[in-house]
Formats: sequence, structure tokens, C-alpha cells
Amino acid sequence: MTSAGTTIAPQARSARSAGPQVLRLALRELRSGFSGFHVFIACVALGVMVITAVGVLTDSLRRGFEQQGELLLGGDLVLSRAHRPAEPKELAWLNAQGRMAAMATMRTMARRIDGQDQALAELKGVDTAYPLVGAVQMQGGAGFAEAIHKQGGAVVAPILLERLGLSVGDSIALGSTTVPITGVVEDEPDSITDNLTYGPRVFVSLETMQRTGLVQLGSLVRWRYALKIADGRASEEQLVRFRDQLASALPDSGFTVRDRRNPSPRVTRSLDRLRQFLTLLGLTALLVGGVGVANAVATFIDRRRRVIATFKSLGATSGMIFGVFLTQVLLIAAIGVAIGLVLGYLVPVIANAIYGDALPIRATVTISPWSIASAAAYGFLVALVFTLWPLGRAELVRAGVLFRDEVAPEPVRPRPRVIALTVATVAALVLFAVLSSEVRWIAIYFCVGLVAVFALFAGLGVLVTYVARRLPRSTVPEVALAIGNLGAPGGLTRSIVLSLGAGLSLLVAVALTDSSMVRELTTHLPETSPTYFVLDIAKTDADEFRQLVNRVAPGSEIRDAPMLRGRIVELGGRPVDQIKPAPEAQWVLTGDRGLTYSEGVPEGSRVVAGEWWPADYDGDPLVSFEAELAGHLGVGLGDTVTVNVLGRNITARIASLREVKWESLAINFVMVFSPNALQAAPHSLLATITLPPDADLARDAELARAISNTFPSATAIRVKDAIDAFNDVFGKVMTAVRVAGSITLLAGALVLAGALATAQRRRIKQAVIFKTLGAIRKRILLSHFVEYAVLAAVTAAVAAVLGTISAWIVVTQVMEIDFTFSSTAVLGALALALVLVMGFGGFGTWQVLRAPAVPYLRSD
Amino acid sequence: MPATAAPIISLADVRLRLASRAGPVDILRGISLEIGAGEAVAIVGPSGSGKTSLLMIMAGLERATSGSVTIAGHDFTRLGEDELALVRGREIGIVFQSFHLVPTMTALENVALPLEFAGNPDAFRIAEEMLGEVGLGHRTSHFPAQLSGGEQQRVALARALAPRPQLILADEPTGNLDGNTGNQIIELLFDLHRRRNATLVLITHDPALAERCGRTVRMADGRIVGGDTQVEAA
Repeated sequence: MTSAGTTIAPQARSARSAGPQVLRLALRELRSGFSGFHVFIACVALGVMVITAVGVLTDSLRRGFEQQGELLLGGDLVLSRAHRPAEPKELAWLNAQGRMAAMATMRTMARRIDGQDQALAELKGVDTAYPLVGAVQMQGGAGFAEAIHKQGGAVVAPILLERLGLSVGDSIALGSTTVPITGVVEDEPDSITDNLTYGPRVFVSLETMQRTGLVQLGSLVRWRYALKIADGRASEEQLVRFRDQLASALPDSGFTVRDRRNPSPRVTRSLDRLRQFLTLLGLTALLVGGVGVANAVATFIDRRRRVIATFKSLGATSGMIFGVFLTQVLLIAAIGVAIGLVLGYLVPVIANAIYGDALPIRATVTISPWSIASAAAYGFLVALVFTLWPLGRAELVRAGVLFRDEVAPEPVRPRPRVIALTVATVAALVLFAVLSSEVRWIAIYFCVGLVAVFALFAGLGVLVTYVARRLPRSTVPEVALAIGNLGAPGGLTRSIVLSLGAGLSLLVAVALTDSSMVRELTTHLPETSPTYFVLDIAKTDADEFRQLVNRVAPGSEIRDAPMLRGRIVELGGRPVDQIKPAPEAQWVLTGDRGLTYSEGVPEGSRVVAGEWWPADYDGDPLVSFEAELAGHLGVGLGDTVTVNVLGRNITARIASLREVKWESLAINFVMVFSPNALQAAPHSLLATITLPPDADLARDAELARAISNTFPSATAIRVKDAIDAFNDVFGKVMTAVRVAGSITLLAGALVLAGALATAQRRRIKQAVIFKTLGAIRKRILLSHFVEYAVLAAVTAAVAAVLGTISAWIVVTQVMEIDFTFSSTAVLGALALALVLVMGFGGFGTWQVLRAPAVPYLRSD
Repeated sequence: MPATAAPIISLADVRLRLASRAGPVDILRGISLEIGAGEAVAIVGPSGSGKTSLLMIMAGLERATSGSVTIAGHDFTRLGEDELALVRGREIGIVFQSFHLVPTMTALENVALPLEFAGNPDAFRIAEEMLGEVGLGHRTSHFPAQLSGGEQQRVALARALAPRPQLILADEPTGNLDGNTGNQIIELLFDLHRRRNATLVLITHDPALAERCGRTVRMADGRIVGGDTQVEAA
């Protein structure tokens, strides 16, 4: 009983109770169970799992980085710079801040003392305080300090001994001296902060390093100073304060500072990129799975028509019906999201348990709230995008036509508000994908590409249906039945084409990109690239070097350029730490860059803006900048660039912009200065040697030997080895991409299985009717075969074309290499499509043929 | 009671036992029946008495557990599934209560289907004629869901009779139709039966309809009870 004072106005009451009522009804409706939703749940779970797993993996590695940052870095902070060791004044200041260890690293040739063989090595000279944190693990438990400081020897990586055929106790030649090998290194605590791409590690003391004669003014040595500024782990505040103090105490020192919070920005950046890329691939899988979600919801609404009609007859509004079923679908999506989150967390846990040792750091499996939230958000957004439309159609359908919609489709469009909601959800999804990406233009292109791919395959589905309906009926019953099924309203055509199309296109694109890249790396690049890069040739040795090469390998082409290393400290008058460059240009500002000077435009470059300086130019320093990077960094003609070279700041004005053909692997630099800017600084030469085409391997090896024996301080890098190393890394990356692409195909297979399962009852009934009308099983089998073969072939053909176009764009426009078509890749896609469609379809047909007729013929 | 004409259907001690969760269930318990060519026979009985199962056995859609089933001279117990399908395509037309049209095919395609299966090159011409005969010449390109219940059943009837079968099996063909429409369908069915001289076996709950058949077979609990009732055809 209510008094007038407590009576709730009907509208207010309805507003207040609508929410719980919708939920209550949705929960009641869920009593019918989840049959028909398995594919829905699986599709959402698969996509969310991929995104979560990617998130957990990167979270864990980042967390590992943060936790072990001090160990990985070898201190709370590391200051480094090229060419120039810390001066006494700087050393005094650094020593005053805490404990300090000094190191110097460079690439060099480690040679057998008999001169018979040599190998590129990463030499690291350390003082007695090294390592400040952690310990260098030695084979056999020998003492590191003893081996390099007391015995004055070299501690080397096992692979070097293997390559040179040496063992502990033998000696190696480094520069102009020989050093006994006194130990074998097993684990180096701070190795991740070095870029160990070119050769195995050789440890010596700083004194021994000086003795080698390799450390000259201008040679490519990187000096590092690790610091412990606190007894325990330095706090964030201490780290920040240190940076401030350094800036005021040694303002022009040119040191690059890293601290334990981010010991390797390069690795962190790679992780972020990897996360973005794999997340987008996960999103693709999720979107392909979305087709399965849409199918499941459409079928669900179809099955629930009587219920909807009953609700309506009992006074439920369309809005209420929409709310009830939307709630129900979201609850089911939540199950998929939850499963995806759990599995996504478990994948890295299991991977870490199995492959943890292969990682550069010990990963602590962890997940950030952001990773959970973003994976869940993607799951719900995609589920919404694909469910709103069928849900919106259901609320509109009048009870009277509920039973006829499938075959006599009155083109029912959802209400404008549902269409608007769908569009808003798509926009939110795109916005979320773009805003959460590090490189937004990639995400934008990706989203546009995905929408195009979906539109294309949706259109293809419509086209196949349209054509099938308009084809004259074949006189061969099997073909007529197959074509009839292809054109049937509510048939499998659209689902199959849409679900498999995206995945197959992706696989074709990956395969063709891979084949183009492999061809570039294994055939084209080695043919057009120099044979050797030689670093650290003293300017005074330049003529002798040319003579030696011409003597040992006559007909070789030699090019050289001055080479210094310097760090950009200011761009356009702004300090670099205040500049937020586009991510793809960030590398230019972090760490040292190779610098050169030249009178003329270097080979492989073309001036696209401004003017090159005259041959005898003697005015203010000028620089020519690579055009694309200049654009990304926001500088142009007339802006100034300040580089710190050997402790001196040199400011030059940008006089021209160049387009550089990086892929030619000739000597190329981001910045080329006018000679008067850098000529006076001590530096060495960088040279490339291209052996004549008829030179054999023996000549190749003899040249390497001759160079390293004659010029002990020079380092010869065989380009083919570098390409092979890159090929190896590229192969691994492509495997990862292929795995990720396969997940999209797996999602497609799930959708396919779901669509076939949904159609199964109808197909069995159809087959039963055919049997009653005199069709033998072979006939039904053949008609299914023709239908599936046509669908698989059409999908694969379009996917092949689309994949080829995508790969062509990536290969020629992004990678800027030659495109190589591989028929194997395309035929592979066709075969895969046939296997998938025939596999699932064949299984379905087998069940169709086995099904007893009577249950389907009896009246309900 | 044996048929007066040469039998087109000959069943001897037909039994059907099906498995169920509660254990095996005897659906038919020794049915012996002969129906002569050109006869019209009604099968009547309460729900669950085995009428539809019996019809399915006659159509070769269900296999008898034991007993002999000879239809139009074919021993159904010896034929494989595909051979049975071929016999159905040539000799038997079936009309269901729920029509069982193929929803993805037009009326014309539905009617042409058995003729296509039989390899008849005139399938579509005959189908068109048949649709004309049942008064649907103007609805050939409609899908089943675009047709009323009565129209759908007329399409089903045209489809069943298009291959000119010797035997028409009809399972409550008017069960899903209103009285008026049902009567029209029955008139059509009997008219075609007479004109084609085909045998008609009709399951019905309607005593008046049963009376229109020359003979009535009563079933209860999987058996024929009370013998056949032979009446003078109307």
C-alpha cells in the first residue's frame, strides 16, 4: 500500500526499475544455456587471449627490466660517449657521486697470432671496479678479476675460441699486441645494454686495451662510466637529482645518460613496437572472430523469435527487448573475455617456463591493469560492433513476420539510434586502437586496411550470392543444387568468404613479403652490395690501404669516407631532450650517430632541397640532412643542428636535404657536413670494398687476413655475414608474424565451423528432403563438394590478389625493395582454403549423409 | 484383408523396434498389409499408434526391424539406401503435413527437383505444368516462405506427383491447414489420384476424409486392429 506521499510516478518507477528488470530478464533468458554460443565465446576468447598474451609478455619483460635494471645496466646509472674518455675533471666529479666503474667498448678483429685466421669481436676494456653490480660468470668458476687484471689476459666468449680454433692458454692478437686467453666468459651481467650484433665478446683490462694501440683519437671507442650513487637501489628522486646535477656541473660533457629505470631504450622501444604490432594482429583475429559473433547472435535472435514475439505480446517495448538481448549478449561476451584473459595470462606463464632461458632477461610474469583493461575493451568493443546490428533488427521485427524473415527477407534496417550506436562503437574501436598505439599512422593505416578488407570480402560474399541467383539453372542437378545453395538467402556464402578471406589475405601477404625479402637478402643484396665494410682506417693509412686491396684483390672497387661519431645535442636551437620526435625518427636523437663530411654529394644520395656547398667552401659550418628524417624531426633548410663531437659542440646550418638510397648498402650518413666543419677533428676513415664478380672465397678470405694483419686497428665486417645475421633475425620475426597470422586464420576456421554448425540442421533437412525425392548420396555429396570448392576457390583467389597487392605495397613502398612473386605462396593459400573448407564442410556433409531421415520428416 | 487388385504394397509381419533412453520401444508389432494398385487407403488411429512409422517404412525412409516389405515390386529389405532413393524418385510421391519444401528454392525449382534427380530433361516444363494443375501457375518464382500454407501444400503436392509416381503417400496433408484450404487440397489430391490412377495411402485423423478413401486401415499400439473397412469409393 502506498500513500500519496510515497507513490512513485509511473515514469520514474519505470526508469528506476528498467535496468534491474532488463538484467533480471536477461539472466532468466540465459537459463536456456549457451548452446549456439560456443563459437561466439571461442571467437571472443581467442582474440582477447592473443591481445592479453602480448600484453603480459611485454609487461613481464618491462617489469623484468625495471626490477633488474640495476643489474642489467651495471649500476644505478651509466654515462657514455664516443671517442673521448672522461677527462680528469669529469672523473673527479663522477667519483665524488658514488662508486664508479669505467669501461670502453669497440669492434675489432681478434686474430690468431699465426695470422691464419681472424674474427670480428666486441672488445670491452674494464677497470678493476667492474662490475659494480653482479658478477661476470666464468667457465670453470675461475676469477674474472684475476684473469684480466692480474694475469693481464683476455676473457673471451666460447664462440670466439671455436671460430679461431683456439683454447684457453693460447694467445690472440688484438691490434698491435698479443694477449693470452686466460678464461672463458659464461655470463656478462650488463650485456643487454651493449649491441652485441657483430661478434663475440672479448674482455680485457683497460690497461691491456690501451696496449693494443686500438684506442686512438678518433677511433670508434665508446667510453662508459657506471655509477652506484646509493647504497641500496637509488630512488627515482636520486636519479633525477643526479641528472640535474650532471647538467649543471658538466654541461658540455656530451654524455648519454641511462639509468636503471630504462636500461636499454632500444630494447624498450622494440618491445613497444612489438606490442603494438602483435596487438593489431590480435585485433585482426578478434575482428575475423567478430563474424562468428555476428552469426551466433543472428542465429540466436532467430531462435528466440517466438520469445520476442511473446515478450511483445505481453507489453514489452522494443527498447526493452533490445536491452534484454543486448545484456544477454554482453554477459556471454564477458565469459569470452574472461576466458581470453585467463588463457592470455597462462600462455606467457607456460612459455616462460619452457623458453624462459632463451630470453635476455629473467622475466617475472606480470600483467598490468592497462593490459587487462585494453584486452577486455577490445573484446567488448568488437563483440558490440558485431552484435548491435542483428540485435537492432530483432527489436523491429513484427511478431507476424517473425517466422518468415529468413527466406522472405524484408530488408529490415535497425532503427537509426542502433545504426548510430554501431557507427559510434566502430569509431570508438578505431579510436582506441589508434590512441593506444605508439605509432599512430600505422594503426590508422591498419584500421583503414582492415575496414577495406572486410568491405571487400563482405562485398564478394554479396556478389557470389547475387551471381549464383542469376545464373541459368544448370542441367546437372549437382551443380544446380550447389549454385542454389551458394545463392540461397541465409546460406553459408557470406560467412565463409568473410571468415576466411581476411586470414588468407594476411597469410599470402606475409608469404610474399617474406619471399621478396629473402630474395633481396640472399640474391639481390649480396650482388649489389660491397663485400666488406672496413672501420677505423687511419687517415694516414688510406693510400697504403688502397694499394693493399688492389694488390691482393685486383679489380676491387674501393670507396671511403671520413667517419666520426657524435651526438645531436640541439636541433633548430632546441635541446634534444625537449624534442618529441616522430617515433620512426627517435633513433637519430638517441645515442651517437655516424658523421661525415664531403666536398661533393655522396654516391647513393640525391639533393632534393637546398643547394650543395661549393668545393672550396669556407664559411659557417653547413650540413646536409636526410630529407625524410628531417621531416620527422621537424627541421628543414636554414635550421641549425648542433652535434657534440669529441666534447666539442659544432653547430651547422642545414643547407640541403638529401634522399638516400639506404638499401644500396653503400656508405651513407644521415648528416653530411661541409668539410670545414669536421675536417680538423681527429677521425678515421670508413671504407667499402667490392670484390670483382669473379673473386672466389679464397681471395675473399685472403683479403680479410691481409687487412687485419697489415692494419691491426682496422675492423673488416663481411657484409654477407651481416646480411646472414639479419636474415636470421628477419626469419625469426617472420615466423612470429606467420604465427600471429595463423591465429587470424584459426579465428576464421572457428567462424567457418560455427557457420557450418549453424547451417547443419538446415542442410540435413535439405538432404533428407532430397533423399525422399530420389537423390542418392553421391549426388548430395557432389553438390556439397561443388559448393565448397567454388567458395574456397573464389575466396582464395581474391585473397591471393589482395594479399599480393598488400605485399607489393609493403615491399615496394615501405621496405623499398624489389617485389618477388611466389606462386608457391599463392597456391599454398588456395590449398589451405580448400583444406579448411573441405575439411570442415566434408565433416559436416558426412554427418548430413549419416543423419536418419525420419526425425526430420515427422511433424513437430 | 487382401487387396482386390494386384498389390503395389505388400507388407508381411513388419516389426519396428527403436532404441530409446528408457530402453527399446516396439513401434510396429507385426503389420501385414496388402494394397492394390490404384486403391485409395486411409490409415487412421490415435497418436503414437505407428501410422507415420508405417508410412515411412512404405517410403523406404525407415527400415523394418523384421518382416518383408515389397513396394511396387521392389523388396525394400534388400535394397541399399541409394537404391531406395532411386525407387522413391521414380515410383513414390510423398506429401507431408509440414510440407517440407526446400526453403531456398522457388516453387518451380522445388517441383522440378525429383525430375532433375531422375534425369528428366523436361523437368522444368513438367514442373510448370504441374504447378498450373494445382492452380499455382502464377507463383512459380516464389520462395516457400512467400506462399501461404495452402499454397505451400499445393507445391508439395505438385512436387510429389510431378514424376507421375505409382504410389502417393500422404501424412496428414491437411493437418497444418485451415478447414477450407484443407478441403481444396484434399479435392486436388483425390482428383490427381483418380486422373493418374495412382495408389494413394493417406494418414488422417479426419473420419470424413477416411471415408472418402475406398478402404480404411485402423491402427492402435503398433498393430492393425479391427480389420480393414472396405467402402464404396465416393
